Amino acid sequence: MSNAVASGETLYIQHFGNEEARSLEYYLKQMKGYTALKKAFGMKVEAIVEEMKASNLRGRGGAGFPTGTKWGFIPKESPKPKYLVCNADESEPGTFKDRDIMRYTPHLLIEGMVIGGYTIGAHIGYIYIRGEYTREAKLLQAAIDEAYAKGYLGKNIQGSGFTFDLTVHRGAGAYICGEETGLLNSLEGKRGEPRVKPPFPAQAGAFGGPTIVNNVETLAAVPHIINRGGKWFSSLGAVEKSGGTRLFCVSGHVKKPGLYELPSGGVTLRQLIYDYCGGILGDKKLKAVIPGGSSAPVLTPDEIDVVLDIEPLMKIGSMLGSAGIMVVSEDYCLVRLIWRITKFYDHESCGQCTPCREGCRWMKDILWRIENGNGRETDLPLLLDIANNINGKTLCALGDAAAGPVSSFVRKFKADFEAHIRGKRCPHAP
Amino acid sequence: MPTCTIDGRQVEFKPGENLVDAAKHAGISIPVFCYHPGLTVVAQCRMCAVEVQGIKKIQTACSTKAADGMVVSTTSEAAKQARQSVMEFLLINHPLDCPICDRSGDCDLQDNSYGHGGAYMRYTEERRTYMDLDMGPVIKKNMNRCIHCTRCIRFGAEIAGVREMVALQRSNNTEITTLDGRPLETDYAGNYADICPTGSLTLKDFRFKKRAWMVKKTQTVCEGCSKCCSIDLHWDGNTVYRTLPRENQAVNKWWICDEGRFNFHYIHDENRIIAPATRKGSAMEEKSWSEAVSSARDALKGKKVEILVGSDLTLEEAKMVQAFCRDMFPGAPISHFGTPGIKTSKDDGDADKILKRKSKTSNLHGMEKLGIQPFSALSKDAAALVFRGGRAVVPDLGSALVVGVGVFLKPQAAKFEAVLPGASFAEKDGTIINSAGMEQKLMRAVLPPGESRQMSEILMMLSRCGKGAGVA
Repeated sequence: MSNAVASGETLYIQHFGNEEARSLEYYLKQMKGYTALKKAFGMKVEAIVEEMKASNLRGRGGAGFPTGTKWGFIPKESPKPKYLVCNADESEPGTFKDRDIMRYTPHLLIEGMVIGGYTIGAHIGYIYIRGEYTREAKLLQAAIDEAYAKGYLGKNIQGSGFTFDLTVHRGAGAYICGEETGLLNSLEGKRGEPRVKPPFPAQAGAFGGPTIVNNVETLAAVPHIINRGGKWFSSLGAVEKSGGTRLFCVSGHVKKPGLYELPSGGVTLRQLIYDYCGGILGDKKLKAVIPGGSSAPVLTPDEIDVVLDIEPLMKIGSMLGSAGIMVVSEDYCLVRLIWRITKFYDHESCGQCTPCREGCRWMKDILWRIENGNGRETDLPLLLDIANNINGKTLCALGDAAAGPVSSFVRKFKADFEAHIRGKRCPHAP
Repeated sequence: MPTCTIDGRQVEFKPGENLVDAAKHAGISIPVFCYHPGLTVVAQCRMCAVEVQGIKKIQTACSTKAADGMVVSTTSEAAKQARQSVMEFLLINHPLDCPICDRSGDCDLQDNSYGHGGAYMRYTEERRTYMDLDMGPVIKKNMNRCIHCTRCIRFGAEIAGVREMVALQRSNNTEITTLDGRPLETDYAGNYADICPTGSLTLKDFRFKKRAWMVKKTQTVCEGCSKCCSIDLHWDGNTVYRTLPRENQAVNKWWICDEGRFNFHYIHDENRIIAPATRKGSAMEEKSWSEAVSSARDALKGKKVEILVGSDLTLEEAKMVQAFCRDMFPGAPISHFGTPGIKTSKDDGDADKILKRKSKTSNLHGMEKLGIQPFSALSKDAAALVFRGGRAVVPDLGSALVVGVGVFLKPQAAKFEAVLPGASFAEKDGTIINSAGMEQKLMRAVLPPGESRQMSEILMMLSRCGKGAGVA
């Protein structure tokens, strides 16, 4: 993988690819390891939350919720134990940033979790890691063992009197377990199905206790914020509301796919594709871009001057999501692509709620017919209608994630669908 | 009480109530599939979509608590459209085999489709199908009709206390089935059919016996134990077809046990004695009422008679028997019998954690209230006059001469001198007192079959005989 380091300060990417970086020794010597933790133990909990709020760190899992505010939701007093859960499920297609954090800088995550636990008053932490990340789970466990051995985890951490136990919990391979309440159900040993909200996890999460669920990249940013201040972290971002740098996962038909660490809101999609990733493979024409993991509505080549951040993308009807950017050249059939994406959501729907369970399969079946030359003119308004009947009407966000792409593909690339329907074959098929 | 506005009407609600229940107070029915007031809220069928002022997204009424000042519309375009789309989604894989479905006419899916669905079907893909395994003697499953409401899963886990119904697979392939394909274990299995909103889980005992809209319904009380659950008897002609639980928050909530549900079958038993009979040698011989009553009187004449009343009789019947005996057999001891080992209400208790009681007769507590003592043994050379409603277990009376009045099956009365057939719980009105001391009314659903008579008539005939008068 070619990792391009962007201009300006980077927090993670300089360590990626360096296998030594995952050791505690390297972390202590080269990355000021566990100094933030020492500093945090000397701070008041409220001061840490204030620092987090000042950092403008927004959740890196997809929803982009301000982390400091989220931590503030945890009730001070609770009859039940509180939990800090790291969402390392990274199941959004096109996303591969958390994997490298866990692979190369696991102690950054561990330190971030201890600080998070200290702040919200949790003594138990879980890293819920996707089942497919077997290697990363082993590496994380090795790092956790090291941290226990040196007193950075467990009882009375570094003489502070604070106890924090951290467990790696492996998932069994379900996209829906990346949804935080689906994750909590799975963590509890139940079926990986999202829960009705409210109550939100901050009120009743894991095992009924107040729980914070944060993404890997979010938690890994915490030591940086504590060490160098929320203001400094916020200044790394190029726009006011989004602090820090962001890891962008670029895949698809670009010359240099890979992970890119860039200031939040610092580049446009065009700059990322053409300046950083070297343009489209084979110098073909750009056909479409999915900007935030497969659940983000698709963008046309006319729309790529958008700044890569949460609000600008939301304004044009898409989303930054997990920053998994998938670039499609003119050589690839978009009907086949949206069929494949919908097939994924059909397969990953938990099956609880009606619109998602029934609608995803229906859309997939229609798309497969169109791709194979059996489409009808009435299929396109029908697809839009089904997508509309799913969107916003399901129990969790998976329905929206499946419906948004379908309606955006049909609306923005109608001609491609019509070519299939009228020609009774896929124009890209041999 | 706090109030909210639903469809322009001011609705009072209890704090904590959800919008479905709050709307019910105002007579507004919000359609539901997965929601059941006795089970946890999962909000997964999405049928109860409503619009709440100030919230952009459509809300599910089952998972939204009513709040003071909340303004809700169940009839806005967005809410109607959402419900219609849910109906369409639910029907695309449903076989629509209503003409041959036993649930037809008694089906939430039909009703809600009628009320909220669209008229046209846009689905042209192949329908999803499943293979079904046998679920044991009580329930027949047809997974193709299932709409994945998971009420059965929650009933098992939350009420019956057995996690036997589960969801296997996921997504569109989700299958609701028993764990490992095993037969159902709970003895409350009939409730699975009651709460199923479609024809997916039907009662083997009832299916194809009668169309649901052809039955008449009588609100009465179960006589299966001293809990006395509220039930509806469904009957037509002079036949009872099934028992359904009737909601009664003070007693059985929404449920009944299988024992109570299937208890009614004995009233149609081919061995039930429905004509007066007297002993002739080793067999019983059917007689007219006047002959049988005379024989019974003759048999008891000059004997030391002891009276046994089943604790399955109503209060009214027991009182009549008391009065009758004071008159006809002055000084004769009267005692009650019912469940072996359960002599008094102190012996009665919960038989499980759900509904069942140890006393397998309904009116043990009523008998005690009337001052009737539990039966222990007949005194030497005594003859017994036994009154029974149909459920009480007749104690071993040795070789004593016995005259039975009430409901008996042939083997139960094999050694009796005479049987005067009476009315079962479904064939009479009356009052019983349950284990909580609550008086409840039995209501007659059908007529006593054959020659059987009500207790009042039988007692009248017996007493006339006693005074030498003729009988009808």
